[in-house]
Amino acid sequence: MDPQLTSIIVPTEELGQIEECLVRLVEDTGSDYALLLDKSGQVICSKGDGDRQDITALGALIAGVFASSREVAKLLRERDFRASFQQGVRENIFIALIEEQWILCIIFNKGTHIGLVKVLTKKATDELASVLERVRQQHKARDEVLGSSFRTSMEDTIDLLFRD
Amino acid sequence: MALINVAAREIHCKIVYYGPGMCGKTTNLQYIHSQVPKDVKGDLLSIATETERTLFFDFLPLDLGKVRGFQTRFHLYTVPGQVLYERTRVAVLNGSDGVVFVADSNKNKMQENVNSLKELAQNVTRQNKKFAEFPIVIQYNKRDLPREVLASVQTMDHFLGVTKMNWPRVEAVATTGTGVFETLRAISRAVISKL
Ligand SMILES: Nc1nc2c(ncn2[C@@H]2O[C@H](COP(=O)(O)OP(=O)(O)OP(=O)(O)O)[C@@H](O)[C@H]2O)c(=O)[nH]1
Ligand SMILES: [Mg+2]
Repeated sequence: MDPQLTSIIVPTEELGQIEECLVRLVEDTGSDYALLLDKSGQVICSKGDGDRQDITALGALIAGVFASSREVAKLLRERDFRASFQQGVRENIFIALIEEQWILCIIFNKGTHIGLVKVLTKKATDELASVLERVRQQHKARDEVLGSSFRTSMEDTIDLLFRD
Repeated sequence: MALINVAAREIHCKIVYYGPGMCGKTTNLQYIHSQVPKDVKGDLLSIATETERTLFFDFLPLDLGKVRGFQTRFHLYTVPGQVLYERTRVAVLNGSDGVVFVADSNKNKMQENVNSLKELAQNVTRQNKKFAEFPIVIQYNKRDLPREVLASVQTMDHFLGVTKMNWPRVEAVATTGTGVFETLRAISRAVISKL
């Protein structure tokens, strides 16, 4: 099968490392929130104060914005467009790319200096890149993770929920 | 590619509705949003122009609940169909697991349908995916159009090369919901089969 079509599987151990990395990033920068997204916009992990209700929509929007600014970069023939910064009145957002697959996003207010965010984000992206590398390396069979009857159950659920 | 989070026991899949301008992509999502149970759907997020044309995307998260212990989420997106937004479509398509191609059944829209499908093939290939293996469902929308302008299914099959690609194909009237869930079921199954 086309390797690009197979799923990315994030195992328990690697998720633990991701969580640790995000918690440290939030603490060390004094940011409000750190998010790790898949390039498709799905939230892999989020850390920060309080539960955000809007996290799913936030993930979709940030990934969309980032993907379109990369298209802008391509039009400008800019090869290495790996981070972006959006400045608001209260909140700022810094976004960095990890190996074309994941997006790290930090939300911080004016109490935090952007320079610090940039430096520590660089450190975090290096760390996350090696986690991603391990995630990609592992060849655990999907059936092992999902169980062989998963697909049948999934089809039943689809038929049950998606009907007129 | 789908994302499987083993620790959180979650599975995410991204499905994109693609097609020429005004073919009814947004209408599909609006109908789905109006019909699925409350506990399944999130808010429908639409980034559109003042004239209701999609500018960036529509986004509808669906939570299918636990399947064999895994919380399963489908995220539905539409692209903006207007020719102008080619690059925006590339951005929205990024990381998708499957595509519903919505074709307009208006006879006068055949060339637009064909161009859009060609562009989709290019964009999928550019993302290093094999187009022939990529999960795709074709929807012939607006089957309620008056006979004078309605293209026959055979004509559309011929123009779009549907038969030789073996894609599932659904006739629909998105405004009334006919075929909308059949389409969603078909693409969901196609995506799941690749998990
Ligand atoms: N007659 C008829 N009209 C439809 C049908 N589906 C959608 N429409 C109409 O077509 C127009 C465009 O629909 P949209 O869903 O906004 O189209 P879109 O594909 O999202 O368009 P863009 O966002 O510009 O790409 C609207 O006026 C819809 O009411 C259908 O099945 N039959
Ligand atoms: Mg639209």
